[in-house]
Amino acid sequence: MSLFFHQLGGELFKLFARKRTYIGFGAFVAVELLLLGLLRMERVQRSIRRIIEATGYDASEYLSGLTLAFMILLWSVFLLGSLYLALVAGDLVSKEVEDGMMRMILSRPVSRLRVLTLKAVAAAIYTFALVAFIGVTALAAGMLYGGAGGLFVFAPMEKLFALYEFGPGLVRYAAALPLLALSLLTISALGFFFSCLNMKPAAATILTLSVFFIDTIVKNIPYFDAIRENFLTARMSAWVRVFDYNVPWEAMVESYAWLMAVNATLLILGWLAFERRDFKS
Amino acid sequence: MLRIDEITKAFAGKTALHPLTLDVEAGEIFGLLGHNGAGKSTTFGILLGQVHPDAGEVWIRGASVQRNRSQALGRVGAIFETPSFYDYLSGWRNLGIFTAYTGRVAPARMREIVELVGLTARIHDPVRVYSHGMRQRLALAQALLPDPEFIILDEPSEGLDPEGIQEMRELILRLRAEHRLTVLLSSHLLPEVEQLCDRIAILNQGRLVFAGAWRDALPPGRRVRLDIDDWERAGPVIERALGTRRDSVVTFPDGTDLAAVVAELVTAGVRLSAVEPVRVTLEDFYLERVNR
Repeated sequence: MSLFFHQLGGELFKLFARKRTYIGFGAFVAVELLLLGLLRMERVQRSIRRIIEATGYDASEYLSGLTLAFMILLWSVFLLGSLYLALVAGDLVSKEVEDGMMRMILSRPVSRLRVLTLKAVAAAIYTFALVAFIGVTALAAGMLYGGAGGLFVFAPMEKLFALYEFGPGLVRYAAALPLLALSLLTISALGFFFSCLNMKPAAATILTLSVFFIDTIVKNIPYFDAIRENFLTARMSAWVRVFDYNVPWEAMVESYAWLMAVNATLLILGWLAFERRDFKS
Repeated sequence: MLRIDEITKAFAGKTALHPLTLDVEAGEIFGLLGHNGAGKSTTFGILLGQVHPDAGEVWIRGASVQRNRSQALGRVGAIFETPSFYDYLSGWRNLGIFTAYTGRVAPARMREIVELVGLTARIHDPVRVYSHGMRQRLALAQALLPDPEFIILDEPSEGLDPEGIQEMRELILRLRAEHRLTVLLSSHLLPEVEQLCDRIAILNQGRLVFAGAWRDALPPGRRVRLDIDDWERAGPVIERALGTRRDSVVTFPDGTDLAAVVAELVTAGVRLSAVEPVRVTLEDFYLERVNR
């Protein structure tokens, strides 16, 4: 087991020593600042204020850093999170195969399953690290501009509307981050699956994003309302439910079990495909 | 050390390797030769469990690569034609990452190997600034870590300058002499193979056309190049001496008194301006085998 962690250390070092990793983190900060700029526009603030005041609450109490952080999180993750995770996970195996490092690795007495497990764990750690980074920077940026105050949660697609004081709001926000990461693991698993097949890294990324966007688009077609819960992105939205006044834990556990089953299936299929491949120059 | 037992492989219905059987003894330097596409890389891939054979099996140190890969490759190192590294990391870090897939390696052992391949001064530089020769040395270092008994070298001298080729050759010979390493190598530099290898195997279009000590397989006789003005007049003299001619090279049976033959040629009125012994090189041998 200790050798596994030693190898995992190497895997993570490779991942986090790449400049591109930090360019991506930087890109998130830029997008967060951009969204913050938009949220601070008078027109946008007016419409948020109108929604809050329509429920009888004082808008000035809830137009806070925490509210801005939640909105940044909600939008930036879907804007960039999926793209970036697809890029990183799509690269994990196929890039090393393309560049020849995989042959060097596979000349060692290590099983292919072990190599893939290491990469899958590294991808999962990366997903959690990325979400933690987005969550913390979004909160920092929000607090910097909006200051402390209550949390206003408004996610029309999820039919979610809630207001919290700062303390409980912060707790919900903190609880949402690992759940969001858990949801995004499915993007990483998809990217990882395609990366295990015999294709270029760019193709793995494009296919991952295609699946994600097609799923998002088709899910929103009214014709499919009856089977909406069977779409990946519908299940992935389960993290938002942590902001419900009464958190539907049972439904959330079901969604996450569903996603974990999808992830496990993708990893097993990826492993089977990888195991059958021939690697030669 | 290595037994290749009737392995075959086809890619998309095209046979890349016809049944191949080979043995490499411990402590031997064995050369695998062949043109591009002859099946060398496929063979190496199968030896390392990177390519699944359609039939047959490979045994390294008594363990089957196909059935017990971890045990079979436990003391094996390999380098490939174009070694690939994480360019943004240092050579040292690359060594650490690759060797971790085998096990933990003490830094002292890593330093020892780095010194052996002559990379001590640059080992902490990023690999992206390494020259081709330095990358080859780093590849060799990773193959020698942690402690192999058998190394597979696919074109180890590819792209090296003459000094680099000589250094690589001396290093391989030293590894065999000092560490009793068994080496299986492929190279298109036949003079290198000639100087390094005890035995060779030649693949041609996926078929084994020769395996063994190539000098032992040479036809007997003394070969000389004769610079003669009139081959018609020389013919009977050469025939009497039981010589066989191919262009200007004549092969006489071992023990032939060449001075007597030359004297006879001169007596017969043949103008003979040069008599030069011909050494058959591995290149001659290889070309003769693949063009048969």
